[in-house]
Amino acid sequence: MQRIEDLTREELAAAVESYAKMVLARRFEEAAERAFRHGKIGGYLHVYSGQEAVAAGFLSVLRRDDIFFTAYRDHAHALLRGTPPGAVMAELYGKATGVAKGKGGSMHLFDASRGFYGGYGIVGGHIPLATGAAYTLRYLDTDRICLCFLGDGAMNSGSFHEPVNMAGLWGQDAMCPIVYIVENNQYAMGTSVSRSSAATNLASRFAAYAIEHERADGMDYFTVRRVASRVISQVRETGRPYALEVLTYRFAGHGAADLFQPYRNKEEVTQARTRDPITVLEDRLRAAGVLTDADVERIHSDAEQTVEGAVRFADESPEPAADELFKDVHGAWGTWPR
Amino acid sequence: MSAMEAKARVTPARHKTLGLTDKDVLDMYYYIALARALDERMWVLQRAGKAMFVISGPGHEGCQVGAMWPMDKQRDWFVPFYRSIAACLVKGMTASDMLLGLFARANDPSSGGRQMPGHYGHPRVKILSTSSPVGTQYPHGVGIAYAAKIRKTGEITMVAIGEGGTSQGDVHEAMNWAGIYKLPVIFVVENNAYAISVPLHKQVAGGNVAARAAGYGFPGVSADGSDVLECYRVAKEAHDRAKRGEGPTLLEFRVPRLGSHSSDDQQERYRTKEEIQADRRRDPLQTFRQYLESVAVMNEGTHKEITDRIKREIDEATDFADRSPLPEPDSGARYVFHEGD
Repeated sequence: MQRIEDLTREELAAAVESYAKMVLARRFEEAAERAFRHGKIGGYLHVYSGQEAVAAGFLSVLRRDDIFFTAYRDHAHALLRGTPPGAVMAELYGKATGVAKGKGGSMHLFDASRGFYGGYGIVGGHIPLATGAAYTLRYLDTDRICLCFLGDGAMNSGSFHEPVNMAGLWGQDAMCPIVYIVENNQYAMGTSVSRSSAATNLASRFAAYAIEHERADGMDYFTVRRVASRVISQVRETGRPYALEVLTYRFAGHGAADLFQPYRNKEEVTQARTRDPITVLEDRLRAAGVLTDADVERIHSDAEQTVEGAVRFADESPEPAADELFKDVHGAWGTWPR
Repeated sequence: MSAMEAKARVTPARHKTLGLTDKDVLDMYYYIALARALDERMWVLQRAGKAMFVISGPGHEGCQVGAMWPMDKQRDWFVPFYRSIAACLVKGMTASDMLLGLFARANDPSSGGRQMPGHYGHPRVKILSTSSPVGTQYPHGVGIAYAAKIRKTGEITMVAIGEGGTSQGDVHEAMNWAGIYKLPVIFVVENNAYAISVPLHKQVAGGNVAARAAGYGFPGVSADGSDVLECYRVAKEAHDRAKRGEGPTLLEFRVPRLGSHSSDDQQERYRTKEEIQADRRRDPLQTFRQYLESVAVMNEGTHKEITDRIKREIDEATDFADRSPLPEPDSGARYVFHEGD
């Protein structure tokens, strides 16, 4: 575990900022769950509660011009990167003011202006896209890098195997600056890791592709941030891929339809909640003397107000116009990367 | 008695220590030589305009015969790929069966003349029909193994592919599944270092296919595919593991590629003369013959007998296939759907 006394003032200030964003993400997810139950959000909904330290740790050290991809549990990634909460909530509501003009919904957030290239609903479907994007960044002779967040379940799809093999090959020529971040929350929907993979050390699978890899505790923000910082610098330097298996846990069900969670018991969830990444970070920042009771109270009430504002904005925003249906189907040639 | 023969009497021959009789190894040699002769005949027929296309496996025969030898010819399943000539012969297909396919005749047991050449299949000897898309045979093989496990039939499935095919997502999904359910399946990868013209170092990150098995929680073994007895040994172990219910094994056989990818390819365009020459020195037909002579199981006479027999069989098979009728045009739409057992 990262020792608090080894941290610089800047790191501590950044951690307080991340803490506020993690609180915002948690409040946002709670509001999204309520709105879904009220019928305000159509389609489907997957919330990130419990996993915040992973995205917060990585995105806090990602350079402004770097890019990242993730799967469908994507709200927190957008919020942590700075997409306005109103635009995210409006997207969940399917409104014209949403970050993807209301045409993507919960699973397909997209904010290219911030290097966020989605938000994908097909399990594992984004891994080839992220790998190709990483190749392009080098092909165009930049020093930008790409993060690819994926779940433990996605590792068993063929669309994991094919691009990761290519990443290993391209890496030999310094042509694939990508970090694969396996957010191992222990369950592929209701299937535990041990029931979906015969070899449960998921990081070790990258050995087959000659990709450097390690495991890290995903419930401790400082651990994630420290690893992220080192790995991102290395990948930027070498142009070779790197893989991290980050051990985390989701407190909520897989998705909005997963009400009873028959595949795990309440004790397991209660036990996991004792290491809530937000509380873990809060305790450490308090111990370091950079977070007071008043700060905590302010951060929580700010987050609540921001989320309330986002919900109101989404509620009052107009539906997309009918003629939007045929727009944005094909990309314009030459617009990537920005 | 020659010095070599004298030596052979003192130390037990390698095949004996593996539990193989002299007859076994002579039969193994026969299949390797038969596959090679059939392969060469197919190319002659293609160049003579009698066949549209050839895709075969010169150099692969040794590992195929070694790997297939422990399999039960009646009970077990084989899911081939397009280079599996020798393996299919050991499993029970004949030279005529294969040439009927090459000529697309009505009595072709693989598909009644419907499939491309090289797409072997034979229901009676439990060889599943070859699929054209590279890699899809792995999920098929795993499905058969899964059914065998559920039905408790004791059948073991062997499925073969080249190293290029292992880059397919299907292969990954199939092996993961087999690992989770500990299925009675043997994954064979015949690594000839070229996926058509793409060399191994541009196809397999890390360069080691066998190492991938670790990610699926079962053993992976890399063996010299030109060493017939070594291929037999590792396949026997894999077969025993499967029989004991301990699950799959991945066998990577590093084989020489003695010919071009297919009759539509010319390997001299992308391989050096030296490399092709080096592969020829690892020809299992030659190395196994040398072994059999060194342990005095085969001599000039027995070699000639086997070679003559093969030539006769292939000539007869060629005549038979050539004289066989083409399929009736109005049968073209048959066998798309199941027509009963």
